[in-house]
Amino acid sequence: MSERFKYREDREAYSAARVRALEALLIKKGIITDRTVDTVLEFFETKMGPFNGAKIVARAWVDPAFRERLIADTPKAIAELDLPDGMAGAEGEHMRAVANAPGVHNLIICTLCSCYPWPVLGLPPYWYKDPTFRSRAAREPRAVLAEFGLPIAEDIEVKVWDSSAQIRWFVVPERPAGTEGLSESELETLVTPEAMMGVAVAKAA
Amino acid sequence: MLTQFEHFAVTEMMGSADSPPRANGTLCFGSDWERTSFGIALALAKEGYFEWDDFRDELIASIKAWEDANPSDHSSWNYYEQFLTALESAVVKTNLLTASEMREIFDLSNQTSQ
Repeated sequence: MSERFKYREDREAYSAARVRALEALLIKKGIITDRTVDTVLEFFETKMGPFNGAKIVARAWVDPAFRERLIADTPKAIAELDLPDGMAGAEGEHMRAVANAPGVHNLIICTLCSCYPWPVLGLPPYWYKDPTFRSRAAREPRAVLAEFGLPIAEDIEVKVWDSSAQIRWFVVPERPAGTEGLSESELETLVTPEAMMGVAVAKAA
Repeated sequence: MLTQFEHFAVTEMMGSADSPPRANGTLCFGSDWERTSFGIALALAKEGYFEWDDFRDELIASIKAWEDANPSDHSSWNYYEQFLTALESAVVKTNLLTASEMREIFDLSNQTSQ
């Protein structure tokens, strides 16, 4: 047993060689092709992920009319953008955006289930499913946000949105000060998944 | 619209013992072989060569065995080493490759990595 987990010096090179040989043999036998891995990973790397949410938020920052439409009818507003098919799919169709504003900070949680707006936010972080986070965020959101390094002033209202099977929330953070000269695509890089969950704010680079 | 297999497969792993490393909402690969291992396993399950849940059982068992063998020092932990072990086991169990083909892969890898 201990032999099995005794680490060799060249473990990286050895693992890499094993995967190379395995892929080559599966291709040779016609089970997969040399495109298979890239095709599967494309889904995570270019189709469904937080880059979609970043595009939605950046558009809302530069276009106040879009921002209003996004809050009023989130799926319809998202459909205006040139995003991959499936954005309004099984996970995306009940999406609702809530916008931070002076005096209001929004936080999204999910106390009951795994309802996470993946097409927009990507994969949830480790702590998101932690029962302690979920129950404490509902009960004492200010204390939890402070622990995330985001103390919220007393005169700012904190709204907590609990996702369900029916509605999956995401936050439109406020546009950071000092970003007036940035293009829409430059603004996209400032939008993090954490900011769209409300456990952080968007910051100028 | 139906949920894509890729979505289902990874969502199933969230909050479980075999949930993959991730950062900023995306999967996090330390090197190309990790990415390739993940892609092969997901593609084979998507094509129906094995059930994703069966693969995950292998992976969870592999992780558990590592943890039992390394109870205190986790400094050498690499998720994708266990992932690759589970993938190799799955392709042999489902007869995609024979045990002797897998031995050849190990022999070849031993030579090329030294």
